[in-house]
Amino acid sequence: MAEELTARAPSLNGGPRIGVYVCHCGLNIAGTVDVQAVVEFARTLPNVTVAREYRFMCSDPGQELIEQDLREGLVNRVVVASCSPLMHEATFRRATAEGGTSPYLFQMASIRELVSWVTADPEDATEKAKAHVAAAVRRVALHEYLEPREAPVHPDVLVVGGGIAGIHAALTLADAGKHVYLVERESTIGGHMAMFDKTFPTLDCAACILTPKMSAVRAHPNITLWTYSDVVEVSGYTGDFTVRVRHRPRYVREDLCTGCLACIDACVHKQGKVPDEFNLGLSKRKPVYIPFPQATPPVVVVDPESCIWFKTGKCPQTCVEACERDAFDFTQTETFDEVKVGAIILATGFRTFDPRRIPEYGYGRYPNVYTSLEVERLLNAAGPTAGEIVLRDGSRPTAIGIIHCVGSRDVRFHAYCSRVCCMYSLKLAHMLRERTGAEIYNFYIDIRAPGKGYEEFYDKILREGVHLIRGRVAEVTDEAATPEEEGHLVIRAEDTLLGMARRIPVDMVVLAVGLEPQPDTEDVRRLFNISCGGEGFFTERHPKLAPVSTFTDGVFLAGACQGPKDIPDTVAQAGAAAAEALAMIDRGAVALEANTAHIDEERCSGCKTCVGLCPFSAITFDEERQKARVNEVVCKGCGICVAACPSGAAQQHLFTDEQILAEIEGVLAYV
Amino acid sequence: MAVGASVAEGLPSATEGRGGSWPGVSVAPTFVDELILEVGEEAGRLLGCLQCGTCSSACPLAAYMDLTPRRLIGLVRAGAREAVLGSRAPWVCASCYACTMVCPKRIPITEIMHGLRRISMRERTFPRRFPTPVMSREFVSMVARNGRSTESLISLKLYLKTDPLLLVRNARTALRLLRQGRLKLRPARIRGRRELRTLLDAATG
Repeated sequence: MAEELTARAPSLNGGPRIGVYVCHCGLNIAGTVDVQAVVEFARTLPNVTVAREYRFMCSDPGQELIEQDLREGLVNRVVVASCSPLMHEATFRRATAEGGTSPYLFQMASIRELVSWVTADPEDATEKAKAHVAAAVRRVALHEYLEPREAPVHPDVLVVGGGIAGIHAALTLADAGKHVYLVERESTIGGHMAMFDKTFPTLDCAACILTPKMSAVRAHPNITLWTYSDVVEVSGYTGDFTVRVRHRPRYVREDLCTGCLACIDACVHKQGKVPDEFNLGLSKRKPVYIPFPQATPPVVVVDPESCIWFKTGKCPQTCVEACERDAFDFTQTETFDEVKVGAIILATGFRTFDPRRIPEYGYGRYPNVYTSLEVERLLNAAGPTAGEIVLRDGSRPTAIGIIHCVGSRDVRFHAYCSRVCCMYSLKLAHMLRERTGAEIYNFYIDIRAPGKGYEEFYDKILREGVHLIRGRVAEVTDEAATPEEEGHLVIRAEDTLLGMARRIPVDMVVLAVGLEPQPDTEDVRRLFNISCGGEGFFTERHPKLAPVSTFTDGVFLAGACQGPKDIPDTVAQAGAAAAEALAMIDRGAVALEANTAHIDEERCSGCKTCVGLCPFSAITFDEERQKARVNEVVCKGCGICVAACPSGAAQQHLFTDEQILAEIEGVLAYV
Repeated sequence: MAVGASVAEGLPSATEGRGGSWPGVSVAPTFVDELILEVGEEAGRLLGCLQCGTCSSACPLAAYMDLTPRRLIGLVRAGAREAVLGSRAPWVCASCYACTMVCPKRIPITEIMHGLRRISMRERTFPRRFPTPVMSREFVSMVARNGRSTESLISLKLYLKTDPLLLVRNARTALRLLRQGRLKLRPARIRGRRELRTLLDAATG
């Protein structure tokens, strides 16, 4: 474990000698704040021995100023007045440490985010900057000498979600020699990609490129694949998580079933009787089933909801008879596993928008209105119609309308663009035209084709003679206005480029539904202690510079759970998440924050208030001494115990009452 | 011009132009196919039109067109045959090729304008009383007949067939030109008119 946190009394050659370094940040600060005036003001503050200005404190020469002053003994505490802790606290702590002292003898005064960017008047801004510097100087004088701490990292990784994101991340980590637990809720991995027929813009067959990776997951010695399972509990912290996984019973032993499917043929039901979830209800399945032929693992599942044996207890059990391996076990119950991992990658994916929420498009009312995902299944050779486009009423379409942006770019539903619908709609247009020879009409607001080869794909579809009509569809109706429209669905839209309202009669309508967060995102968010944006997708640590990290160290994101994205972006992100996890594991240790809580035993009355409040279970109660105890490795420095302690025994490093009061006094004394 | 109703009538109904089934794609010939026959393979590029409008902004005469080049191309693709062939736009086109030069999809817009003129001339769908097509017809028929054009007679016919008022308005100028001997009223003719006829017949098949 990490070395115990030490808080030595400052053996610092006499009293505090504070160095104040004021940064210009180019003109970001110096354009508004009179830096020279702030420096001169700093020289007048108690304990300040050095005050300097520099154009970019974060540059090497800027940091060198700090290091040199520390080394020469001119200063023993550092205040940098610059951007914000989020931006460069780590940089200047490192410089302070390089200067040969504790990195925590540093305090930042934010005079960019809190001053120059928000205060327009230069005089006001300069005065405000002085107040921030005064506060930081008073505070840093009371900082303790704290040693940086580290905790070791468990080398195993948990990947949650077995879609293409989870698969790719798991394989990358496993190939690097790490052990991966891949947990998937469904009975097979593959996710949405397994449902598609082809992928844009290359028109690769989705199964042809996905199933080899699925098999590789199953065969990989470094991957423990748990399907039909979910994560129910997560505890611990970065580098040392404990995860509890629940395995739901499939009533078939995974170690015995070979996926011969003889049981499915043998089932007493000659025909399927319940809607097949994998085919989105476009076909029926039996109570014993496998989602699709290449399901991984190739193990059948028994659905107790529809199985006669489970419902009545009376069934000849022809499935069991047919099984040569005796794989059936109707006594199975839920089981649990508990594992330790160092890092977690969330790849929980998305769900598609339910177009019933837009009644004017007629989904659920007109049988020949389909979602794009349903059409993927219709086009799939392994789908309910073996790849033939046969409508629900048994007819074949001769004109098809594809409506883009269903549920997207609409503040009533989702304000965001779902990013993939334009491209998959063009792909569906191509494939439907190829399979049916029908006239295809795509109704779009804008075509968004910003990927490698995407614009070229759009051009190809245009040249194939697909009708692209720029206009958002108002309504799909079966009310005919002319004899030709009789018996058709009519799509009403304005052709905004030709400047006229149009009514297009079609036989089939495809709704290009957008991507939205999984329905249980909120539960998953709580389970892994991460955050969601307003639209409900998991929030990355930084949209540009930390796109796969979260605000919880050791938890990474991959794929559409972070926001809508297509397969190339998902795979790239999964690789990135795997690399981030690898970097963390191979470093072997994680740095721990110094701002942990500790108990002043003399003051602790043993009331246990803090014990129950700690969200990280870092506080235990020493029965023998009747005192609370903080495990500083587990403590995340949230401060709840400090605020709750009735006797002031719980204190937090870098946030002691004295430090905070001094900081406030600094501001007030000056104002 | 408000396109609305008149164009909508010209749109193909979705119940026509079908055929074929998986795996072969076979879609009945469209207006675009027709233009490809008329203008050449390159006209097919108009299917890739992005409707960006560069052609319309480059066109020096777009302000005088009832349909800008962009909308004309859009209507061709939408199959609005009547609206396109009844438009004045191809007849306003000065064949300056500015649109063709700037088109990001290399659509031969000027050639398409020419092709549309030829089709509408054949099918007599060109806008009645609009001077350019009348002028074009009269000029071609006179040259075919006489081997030469006679400006006075062409102008006369043009005015009579489009806007007879112009005849009155331009009478003074015509009289002054006549007095100066700049306007001949007798049709100019070449000698070998029969040979010319044979030549033209051979050329136009």
